[in-house]
Amino acid sequence: MSTKESERNSSAQQTLDILYEISELLNTQLDRATLAKCVAMIENGVNPEALAAVVQELRREGAHSTADNAGHVR
Amino acid sequence: MTPSFPMLDPLVYAYVPAARTNESIKNDLAAHCQDILKSHIGHKTEVNHTQLMDLVKRRLLQLSPNGSSVTKFSNLIMRLEDQQVLSRKQEAILFLFTLSSLSTQQATSIPIPILSQPSPTKLIADTAPSDSSASKLESTQPNAARLAKFRAQRGVPHLNESLLVRDTLYLLQGISGKYARFAISQTNEKTLIFSTDPKAVVTPPTQALIHRLAELGYLYSRIDSFVRERENAPGVGMIEQSLCHYLQTQLTEYYRLIAVLETQLSSTRTNDASVMGEETGLSLRRLDVWVNEWRLRMRMMSICVEGAKDSHGGALVNLIHSYTDNGDPFVRKFTHELLEEVSRPFFATLHKWLFSGELYDPFEEFFVTADSSLGHIPYVHPSSLPGGISQLSGDAIFENSNPDSEDISGLRENGKKSWETKYRFRKDMLPLFVGEAFGKKIFSTGKSLNFIRYSCLDSDWVVTREKMSNNGGSLLYGDIAGLERSIDTAYQLASHRLFEVFIDKFKLLDHLSALKNFLLLGHGDFTDQLMETLAPSLARPANTLYRHNLTANLETAIRSSSAQKDSVDVLRRLDARILEYSHGEIGWDVFTLEYKVNDPIDTVLDHEAMEKYLKLFKHLWQMKRIQRALDKGWMRVTGDARNFIHLPELESEWHKVRIVMAEMIHFIRQLEAYCRLEVIECSWKILIDFLNKKEGDLDALIEAHRTYLDRTIKKVHLWHSRPGKEEVLLRQLMEIFGYILQFREAMDNFYNYCLSRSAFKDQAMDAERGVYTGSSKGEVVDSEDALPGLLDRVKEYGTAFSDRVQTLVHHLQVHPDLDCRFLGIRLSFSDFYRPKKELHAGAKS
Repeated sequence: MSTKESERNSSAQQTLDILYEISELLNTQLDRATLAKCVAMIENGVNPEALAAVVQELRREGAHSTADNAGHVR
Repeated sequence: MTPSFPMLDPLVYAYVPAARTNESIKNDLAAHCQDILKSHIGHKTEVNHTQLMDLVKRRLLQLSPNGSSVTKFSNLIMRLEDQQVLSRKQEAILFLFTLSSLSTQQATSIPIPILSQPSPTKLIADTAPSDSSASKLESTQPNAARLAKFRAQRGVPHLNESLLVRDTLYLLQGISGKYARFAISQTNEKTLIFSTDPKAVVTPPTQALIHRLAELGYLYSRIDSFVRERENAPGVGMIEQSLCHYLQTQLTEYYRLIAVLETQLSSTRTNDASVMGEETGLSLRRLDVWVNEWRLRMRMMSICVEGAKDSHGGALVNLIHSYTDNGDPFVRKFTHELLEEVSRPFFATLHKWLFSGELYDPFEEFFVTADSSLGHIPYVHPSSLPGGISQLSGDAIFENSNPDSEDISGLRENGKKSWETKYRFRKDMLPLFVGEAFGKKIFSTGKSLNFIRYSCLDSDWVVTREKMSNNGGSLLYGDIAGLERSIDTAYQLASHRLFEVFIDKFKLLDHLSALKNFLLLGHGDFTDQLMETLAPSLARPANTLYRHNLTANLETAIRSSSAQKDSVDVLRRLDARILEYSHGEIGWDVFTLEYKVNDPIDTVLDHEAMEKYLKLFKHLWQMKRIQRALDKGWMRVTGDARNFIHLPELESEWHKVRIVMAEMIHFIRQLEAYCRLEVIECSWKILIDFLNKKEGDLDALIEAHRTYLDRTIKKVHLWHSRPGKEEVLLRQLMEIFGYILQFREAMDNFYNYCLSRSAFKDQAMDAERGVYTGSSKGEVVDSEDALPGLLDRVKEYGTAFSDRVQTLVHHLQVHPDLDCRFLGIRLSFSDFYRPKKELHAGAKS
C-alpha cells in the first residue's frame, strides 16, 4: 500500500513536472504550487478557460493592491 | 458556494498577499472569482485533442520562432500521455494555453506600439507585466522599443509619427493639419499651434522639427498669395508678370515634390503591418531632408516677393541681381535662373530701344521714360503695325512741312527741346548688371535713333538697322559680354550715323563756319565792306534806322566781298536786325547781324547758343568799329594833318596826338589779334578736331559746341573766374573803348580847328598876295579862345586812356587765364605799361 502510495506520488510529481515544463514553454508565469492547485481544480471539473480568466484577474488584482501598498501607507 | 472550489482561497492568497490579512478583500475576490468560474467562458469551445495541440504549437512558434520549443512540447505531451494520475490532461493543457495567450496578448503589445494601429488609445493602461516577461522582452527588443516602453510606463503616450507626417504634408502646402495647425496671432503673423490632446502629446523635438518643416508652408502661402494677387491686379508690370510666371513654375515643381512625398506616404501605410519599422517608410526627418533644397528656394522666392511689393520694374531686377553676389552656389544659380526669366521683358524693351529707338514700355519699367507732355510718343509697338514706322514718319513730315506762321518760334526750340526732354534717364530703374556707363550709352543710342527717325526724318536707315539687328539674335541676361558688345556696336553705329546726318545731310559744319565767318567777323573783307556801307547810317539815332536799308546794305556787302561765294542756303539765313532800342541810342548800339537756323540743326545751335553768338558779335563789332575809327583818325593825323595844316606852332601838339593815337592803335590791334587767333581760332580748332573724330553722341556734340562758345565768350570778354569780379575787365575795356571814341571826337574837333586856322592863314597869305578868297575874321577870333579847351580835352582823353590801359594791363598780368595773361604781356611787351610808381619815377627823372 505504501509503495503504491509512493508510486502514485512520484507519478503525480512527474506529471506536475511535465505540466510545469509545458507551462514554462508557454510562458504562463505560474509557479509550481499554483500550478498544482490549478491542476487539482481542473481535475475536480472546473472549466479550464474560466480558471485562466480567474488567474489573470487575480494577478491584476494583486498588482493593483501591491501598487496601492507602495502608493500610500495603510 | 459549491464544493467544487475549495482551493480558490489559496490561489487568492498566493496572488493577493493583502487578502491574507484582510478578510473582506479575500471574500470579495473569492466571490468575484467564483462569478467568473460560473460564467460561460469557454463553455462552448469543445476542442478536440489535435486541434488543441495545433493551437499550442502555433502559439509556441509565435513565442520563439525557432522550432526547438515545439519539439520539446511534443516530447512533453508524449510523456504526459503515459501518466495516469490525471484524468483531465487535455483540460490542463487548455488551461495553460489560455493563460499563456491571455498574458502574452498584453505583454507583447507593449514593445512595439508604433507598429500597431494608429490610435492614441492603442497603448494599454496596464503597466505591470510580470518581471520575468519584462526582463525576457528587454533582452530581445531594440533600444527604441525599450524607450517606447519607458514612455508607455510614464503614462504619456506619444502621437504616432505617421500621423504627424501626414499633417506635415498638409502644412507644407500651407494647410492646417489635424494635430498641428496654423493660427494667426494678433500681429498678423502666422504661428504654428499643436493640438493639446491629452491622450497623445507631441514631444518638443518633434515640434521643433515640424516647425522647421512648416516654414515651407508659410513661405509657400506667401508666395502663392502674391502670385494670385498679381494675377488679378490690373496694370502689373511686365517684369512683375514674368516674376509671377517664374514663381508659378517653381510652385508647380513644388507641388510635384509634394505629390511624390504623398505617394510615398500612402504606399508606406498600405504596407503598414509588414514593413513598418523597416527603413523604407517616410518619417519627419526624411521629409526634412527631402525638402531641404526647397526650403532655400522658397526663402529666396519669398525674399523676391517681399522686394516686389515696394519696388518696380528695373529696380526689381536690381533687387534680384543683388542676390547673385552670393557665395552659396545654390543661391547664385537660383537667382541667376530667376534673373534670366525676370529680365526677359526688360531685354525685349531694351532691344526695341537699342535697335529701333522706340520706347515700348507700357508699365514704365524701363530706365528711360518718355515725357508724355511732348506728345507724339507712340505706345504702339511699331512692328505690330504693318508699315507702322513709315506711317509715323509720314505724319512727322506732314507736321513739319506745314508749319504755321505762329508755330515758327515754337519749332525753333523744338529740336533742342525734343532732344533734351523727350526722354529721361532714371538711374534707380537701371539694372545693376548693365552698369551706369552702359546705361547712359543705351539711353543715348535709343535717343539718337529716335532723333534720327523723328527729327531728322531718316527712318529708312533706322528700319534697315532694325532689320539687320534682328538677325543678330536677341539679348539675354546670361550673355552680359555679348550684351555689352551689342550695346557698344549699336551705340557707335547710332552716334556715327547721327554725326553723318548732322554733318552731311544738315551741313552742320557749313552752318558753324558761316556763324564764325559772319557773326564772329571771320570774313574780314565782308566786315570791312559792311562797316563801310553802314557806318554813316549807324552813327545816326537808332530810330532813324530802317530794316530794309540795313538789309540792302548787307546785300551790298555780301555782293562786294568774297562772301558771295558762300552757298545760297547760308546767305539766305543771314539777316540784319535792329535790336530793341531806347531813347538816345544810336545805330551802333542796336545793329546786329543774325543767322537763322531751323529744325533739327537747332538742337546744336539752340536759342541759348544763338544769343551767345549775338553777344559775341556785338562785342567784336564794337571792336571793329573802334578799329575803323582809329584807322580813319590815323589817316587824318598822319596824312591830312601834314598835308593841309601848316601851323608850325601846333606841330608839337599834333605829335603828342599821334603818339597817343599810335598807342591806341597798338592796343586795339593786339586786342583784335588776340580775339581772332588765341580765342576764336584755337577754340574752333578744338571743335573741328572733335567733329572729325566722330565720337560720342549728340549730347557730346552739343556739349562740344557749348564749350567752344563758352570758351570764346569768356576769353573775348576777358572773363575773370573769381566770383564778383567776372566783368571787371570787360567794364574797363568798355571804358577804354569809350575814351578812344571820345578822344577821336576831340581830335576831330582839334583837327577841324587847325584846318580852319590853317585855311584862315592861307586866306591871310592869299590876301597878302592880293588874292581874295573870302573873309571869316570872326570865326578865327572864336577859335583862338577855343584852342586850349580843345587841347585840354584831347590831352584829358589821351591820359585817361593810358591810365585805363595801364590798369587793364595790370589786371591782365595777374589774370588766372593764361591766354589773358599773355594778352597783357603783348600789350605791354616793351614794358611800356609799368606800374604807376615806376612810371612816375621814370617821368620825374
